Amino acid sequence: MNSAPGAVQIRPLSDLDLGRITAIDERLTGVYKPDVWERRVVYYLRRDPEACPVALIDGKVVGFIFTDLRSGEFGLEEVCGWIERFGVDPDYQGRSIGRRLFEAAQAYLQSQGATVLRTLVGPEDGDLAGFLRAVGFQNAPLQALEMKIS
Amino acid sequence: MNVDQTTLPKKYHDAVLHWQRHHFPDYGLLPENWHKYFPNDPEFCLCAKMEVGMGDTIEVGDQKGQPRMLRPSEMSEDQGRHLLAIIRAQASTEFGSIQQHEVTLSRAQEDEDRFWVLRVMAEELRHGYQMFYMLTSQDWSGVTDQSAEDMVEEILSMRTGSHVLDAFNVDYDSFVDNVVFAAVIDRVGKYQLAMQKVCAYKPFAQSMPPMLREEAFHLAAGVVPLRRWVQRAAQGYELVTLNAIQRSLNKWVPRGLEMFGHEKGGDSNIRFGFKNLKNLEAQSQYYDELHKVVADLNQRYVRARVPRLSPEEAESLVSRLLADRSKSEGISWDDLLTLPDRRYFRRKGEPAWTMIGTRAETFDDVDAYVRHLAQTLPDPYLHSRDMRQYVETLRDVIAGRTTPEQAMKKMPNLKRVGGVCPCSKSVRWVVEEPEPAREPAA
Repeated sequence: MNSAPGAVQIRPLSDLDLGRITAIDERLTGVYKPDVWERRVVYYLRRDPEACPVALIDGKVVGFIFTDLRSGEFGLEEVCGWIERFGVDPDYQGRSIGRRLFEAAQAYLQSQGATVLRTLVGPEDGDLAGFLRAVGFQNAPLQALEMKIS
Repeated sequence: MNVDQTTLPKKYHDAVLHWQRHHFPDYGLLPENWHKYFPNDPEFCLCAKMEVGMGDTIEVGDQKGQPRMLRPSEMSEDQGRHLLAIIRAQASTEFGSIQQHEVTLSRAQEDEDRFWVLRVMAEELRHGYQMFYMLTSQDWSGVTDQSAEDMVEEILSMRTGSHVLDAFNVDYDSFVDNVVFAAVIDRVGKYQLAMQKVCAYKPFAQSMPPMLREEAFHLAAGVVPLRRWVQRAAQGYELVTLNAIQRSLNKWVPRGLEMFGHEKGGDSNIRFGFKNLKNLEAQSQYYDELHKVVADLNQRYVRARVPRLSPEEAESLVSRLLADRSKSEGISWDDLLTLPDRRYFRRKGEPAWTMIGTRAETFDDVDAYVRHLAQTLPDPYLHSRDMRQYVETLRDVIAGRTTPEQAMKKMPNLKRVGGVCPCSKSVRWVVEEPEPAREPAA
């Protein structure tokens, strides 16, 4: 499908996106991790590629959001959309690409029966937390707990 | 997921399982190992899946805007025959690919690669099952004399060599073929399924989204092992080379291009509202996509050879090496993978029998062209029946003993076999259940 130059296109995740997703992560973290992203992308392709929209500008992948539809976890029976991975190429930030990706994921998860979206954000991810609050997330009544065992 | 699941009547379900026992004996390994290789994924289900919530209006063709059809009897005779042929061809490909994969499945070097392909095969079995649901859940008697039982019987009786499309009549030579086939031939499947999502016959359209979701993993089951192999090859691993991958690409890409049908065709599919792209349009998009796959593999190779390069530098180096046919950073342009010219080694469609090389070289002499094929295709494939028939037919075309059109019809040499199951307990795959004994009237 053709689109105007510079326009943002959204489509489901595909195997063709591996190289660019790895490169976006490398730009964000400074580390080249092709094996890690191969494993992750295969996981999300197996789950549901439509729940993982990617954003393209002029045919180049510039952002991605990986989500998953699950229910019955932690005693929460309702169908829940989990926002699990998210990245926008630094060269393309500030163009509402994250918001477009989030809206596409939300619409799809809703169409598949999700009644709530959930995610976890680390204390160091202030920008991400700010973005999520801007699109409508609020503090959840649940508390994340962990215990180191080794 | 908004999907309705259903199973076939027992006689058809049993026929598929009976076929599986003969042609897909490794199927039983999948549930035993599912949680190891696919943790958290829903268990595999051999069933038909129908997407819920698809539109009721025809999207393309002469009947655009009218309600989607729910029964074969609502279609014109031409439409019905055409769609039935599509469904049967699709079913043939699903069962055909399992027969091909099974031969070399156990040769995978890595267990993970093997179980990924095993899952692909199981999902192809489900796709075949889905097509049987299309054939058996509605009455097609208005457009065929064959009963549903006979249609199922005929498809289950096909073998590598007697399938409808050429790509499914070619034997695998090694596990490289399992992986390249998933990356190249399953990609055609993705295009066909995506095009058929618009189908004017609603049950067929509803079948496509669940199949497409599964197909996305099939492509990854090809591309990811290829990415890992090119990385290892760059690091000096001798057992899977870029040359072996290149030759396998040369073997399968021509067959993939032909699966779209003749470059000048596809009008009927659009007119009838069954697909939204003509053959050449879809084939061109597919070929562009294959270019992206090859470019990605080359970048993975270059970054493994020269780790200090950034993604952009690696991309630019690959482009420069291929454009200039040069050498830089210790990498030569002919170390890299390239897509064969779309006219190379073709036996169907516009460029059939034209003797064009992988890099668009033209040949006037058959012997020189056969030598080129020998240098560019996998060695074991050269000794195959398929290659022998191809070369014999090519010689006939070039010598004027047969026309290209006649030669196109000759390849593959279809030999339809009867409905005979190889086991001694039955002569048919579909076994009719005996009528239940009736209670005497009170």
